[in-house]
Amino acid sequence: MAEKEKWGIANIYSSFNNTIITVTDITGAETITQWSGGKVVRADRQEASPFAAMEAATRAADDVKEKGIVGLHIKVRAPGGNGPRTPGPGAQATIRALARAGIKIGKIEDVTPIPHDGTGRPGGKRGRRV
Amino acid sequence: MPNTEYLKIPRERVGVVIGKEGSVKQKIENVTNTQIIIESETGSISISPTPEMDDPLSIWKARNIVRAIGRGFSPEKALKLLDDDYIFDIIRLPDFVGKSKKAMKRQKGRIIGKEGRTRAIIKEMTDTDVSVYGKTVSLIGDIEKIMVAKEAIEMILEGIRHKTVYSFLEKKRHEFKLKEFQKTVSQE
Repeated sequence: MAEKEKWGIANIYSSFNNTIITVTDITGAETITQWSGGKVVRADRQEASPFAAMEAATRAADDVKEKGIVGLHIKVRAPGGNGPRTPGPGAQATIRALARAGIKIGKIEDVTPIPHDGTGRPGGKRGRRV
Repeated sequence: MPNTEYLKIPRERVGVVIGKEGSVKQKIENVTNTQIIIESETGSISISPTPEMDDPLSIWKARNIVRAIGRGFSPEKALKLLDDDYIFDIIRLPDFVGKSKKAMKRQKGRIIGKEGRTRAIIKEMTDTDVSVYGKTVSLIGDIEKIMVAKEAIEMILEGIRHKTVYSFLEKKRHEFKLKEFQKTVSQE
């Protein structure tokens, strides 16, 4: 990696309800841009769709390029904790859209919070009842 | 470069991942440009990138394919996941039925149906592949259609009658067809 290349971090939070992309500088303390599925589509149920994620990612890529950043490291996160631990449908679409927008992709890391035995999962002994 | 991924699959599925003389493993490695190391005694698998890998997501793809095979799918069906539009989803049964073994058996039976009828209907109506294996139900298919199949399975798990679920699926299928029709019309 050349010394003058500027890199950042793309924090992608992908749940089944939305996809949020926060691009920060390499320290993670300064946010450069923030986009989400909800910012680009109108219907609530489309917030998590791959299409919304792609749209948000391309816009984030534009903002990032304006700031002179050439590459992004990726931190993907699912809801975690008691919830699902696999990233939602938007995560793959986001990374692909970023790559297609001409941004170099560095390391991809999964930062889903995994409890080291925290609170119990909802449901109980007899499972979920309605 | 993305890092190595580790996962574990049931021991009886290890043979399927490897395939006859390693054919399945070879195929996954070739199409995703990854290296797969399988410990057949424990079922733990590590997937690492090869230098030729250009797509940063292919590690995930390989992982999903291996996981799908581990969850009871045949390699042919699991390899559908190479397509970007297809996703893989797991429903954990203990979340719905609790710890009772009897309840688990009963609900698995309800999802599969008599001679696999219910499962076949879900498959046909939503164009997804369904596998009921161990304590999970896994799905492979288009994202929107998976959501419908998942809802249908959750309805069954909640104790709703099969008849109601079928009519729900029928309704959704109709909606999909309508949407597709509108899409083709608007394109012309």
